[in-house]
Amino acid sequence: MHKIETHCFAVIYIPFYSLQCAQQKHAWQSCNPHRMSPRQLSLDVIETAVPGTAQQNIVDDPSFDIPAALLARDGIHVIELNPAAERAGIRPGVSTSQAIARAADLVLYPRTLSNEQHLQNTLLQLVYRYSPFIENSAPGICTLDLKGKRTRRHQLWLRELLTKLRSVGLKAQAGIGPNPEIALQAAKIADPILEISQDSHLLQSLPLESLAPSPFLLDIMKSWGVRNLGALTRLPREEIGQRLGLEGLSLWDRAAGQSNSVLQLVQPPETFEESVDFEQPLETLEPLLFIVRRFLETLSLRIESVYLLIAELHLTLTLENGEKLVRILHIPAPTRNVDTLFGIAAQYLETLQTAAPVTSFHLEVIPSRPSGHQFDLFQGGLKDPNRFFQTLARLAALVGNEKVGIPQKIDTHRPDSLQMLMPEFDWARGRIKKKGYPKTGPGLRRYRPGVPADVQLNDDGKPTLIQSSVISGKILEARGPWKLSGNWWDPTRWEAIEWDIALDHRGLYRIAQSTTSTNERRRTSAHENAANDRGQSFTFQDQWEVVGVYD
Amino acid sequence: MPLSPKIIELRKILAERYPPQTGIHSLCTPTGWSPLDSLLGGGLPKGAITQLLIPNISSGGAMVLHEIIEAMHDASQYVALIDGQDCFEPFVDHPLLLWIRCHDVAQALKATDLILRDGNLPLTILDFKQNSDRELRKIPGPTWYRFQRISEENKTSLLIITRHPIASSAHVTISMTHQLYIDDLSSQREEIIKSVSLEIIRMRTQLEYRYA
Repeated sequence: MHKIETHCFAVIYIPFYSLQCAQQKHAWQSCNPHRMSPRQLSLDVIETAVPGTAQQNIVDDPSFDIPAALLARDGIHVIELNPAAERAGIRPGVSTSQAIARAADLVLYPRTLSNEQHLQNTLLQLVYRYSPFIENSAPGICTLDLKGKRTRRHQLWLRELLTKLRSVGLKAQAGIGPNPEIALQAAKIADPILEISQDSHLLQSLPLESLAPSPFLLDIMKSWGVRNLGALTRLPREEIGQRLGLEGLSLWDRAAGQSNSVLQLVQPPETFEESVDFEQPLETLEPLLFIVRRFLETLSLRIESVYLLIAELHLTLTLENGEKLVRILHIPAPTRNVDTLFGIAAQYLETLQTAAPVTSFHLEVIPSRPSGHQFDLFQGGLKDPNRFFQTLARLAALVGNEKVGIPQKIDTHRPDSLQMLMPEFDWARGRIKKKGYPKTGPGLRRYRPGVPADVQLNDDGKPTLIQSSVISGKILEARGPWKLSGNWWDPTRWEAIEWDIALDHRGLYRIAQSTTSTNERRRTSAHENAANDRGQSFTFQDQWEVVGVYD
Repeated sequence: MPLSPKIIELRKILAERYPPQTGIHSLCTPTGWSPLDSLLGGGLPKGAITQLLIPNISSGGAMVLHEIIEAMHDASQYVALIDGQDCFEPFVDHPLLLWIRCHDVAQALKATDLILRDGNLPLTILDFKQNSDRELRKIPGPTWYRFQRISEENKTSLLIITRHPIASSAHVTISMTHQLYIDDLSSQREEIIKSVSLEIIRMRTQLEYRYA
């Protein structure tokens, strides 16, 4: 039997949107723990103070039920109110003094247009996860066309979406209906989710004001005794059209749930950023980490809605002296895990020293697609690459950047010439070459630097006696000389004559007589002495040293 | 000092009441170097410390170190080498080796702590062969118990190469005896290593290990 697909729309409605945006921005700033006792930057602060508070939900704050109003640009009148303020008898348009006279505990918020736009983008990004057909209907209102959505249990995913919106500081309602108009009306009266059909009594009992008709039309309707949508739809459509024209017909259609408006589909913006201007410049790390954590939680949520991962963190700190510090942190294995991302950001910030207090912070994340990895059946991979790279950074801080990494031989015959490479995420993948190579002799343990020694030679030039701080005694047997040299064409010329020796206490060592230009020893530049560049007046130092032990 | 009969009886009761969990150390980290793997029944115990004692000078300890690293490389396994005196001399490139070049024991212990807590690398080698006894004696005893607990938690293996026993919490202590001669310097390594002898001088029982 052919399944009949019924058309269905959902509307996400954020009541008193501008006021909520202003409250959200204020909440970000008031969550800033800089009012607490300042503490010095330390890892303990990161681990103990931040995570708990970061889970706090702004809209669950009891202060949300305190009367609040949004100030107009003139700063004199209020333009939007929350239900608590309306209950106190305040109406939009009254002056602030009148409003405060009605509710002494009224909180006034300045309007933040940039934050409204930012949160509208966030709304679109979060909604996009549930339907690709979305309309940016109005500030704080987003309509979803649910065609093709297989589930009929809309309550589940709508509840999940509303929870996500609450976590970014917005309290929303959702309505479902056979067309966008009904869905919007449902959303407006929902608590928090409501699904109504076309001939629902609930729909018919809605007041006419819910359709926001023009004041002229509303006055005529009220003079006819039409108070709600049901009363309007009981009037003949043609008669309404004859008397009130197209506007009346449109109102009747909307009241009857027969509006055929087509959604103007939009794509959510692909920028993922958050920023905050601090009321007071920050001098300690703790409040900044607090904000970083909250930003990451929000951004991770937004990134998740478009099925991407975070590959880079772009941190911008603006200082009180006007200086801007920009740092790009690459995530070795792109992820949405907030703890991992926070650990990477915190590791950088804890080592950061600024010349002046921080006045604003901006965080942008660069998304990337999940990369497919087909690991080798017999190759062990890194369990947690991001954690590993954090460990690498800590190791580098402990022993120095040049003392940790993957050893790689430099293309020279000079002994002990190697460089340390920092592993990458795909550490060694594709680089493993299991080729055979000659394994001659036991390994050497090298003294770095070599230990100066006095060596006595016989008539044949063979070492016979050695004295140094690590070994001393008669040389029983010596193998050599092994002559090495290089860089004869420039001031870093070097020569070495190596010997392998066996001492009387059964130890095997390698000693060397190194001949190095003084320029190399002093590590001065080639330009320092033009004569040396011509290779005419090199001065050399010969010195015996114990290179290592065959151990 | 012989154990008192009461302690022996108590251990027996505990062993009966709380039988050792089979399989705690059944999983091993094979090093790929067959003499060591066959001696330990498959490889270094996972989640535990193994101590390799090389008391004499020129005994081939560096050669063994190279063998293990290269065998792990052949098995495509990562290794961390914490070099207590910055003395390791690589023959060839080791793309799977993370080499941490420390200048003293304290630094090496901090690096070991970081690597073990990270838990990403299956085998960590802590090379203290060239460090002085004076430095090594200053290591607090609880350090080794801490390392043992971290290894156990992360299921990684820690191999300590030293001249004398230092890790009281080591699950296995192996002694290596060999003597290199100057003729060996021009011999093939596989020929030299045949004459290396390994001997387990101490292996903790499961019960003893759990109560360590």
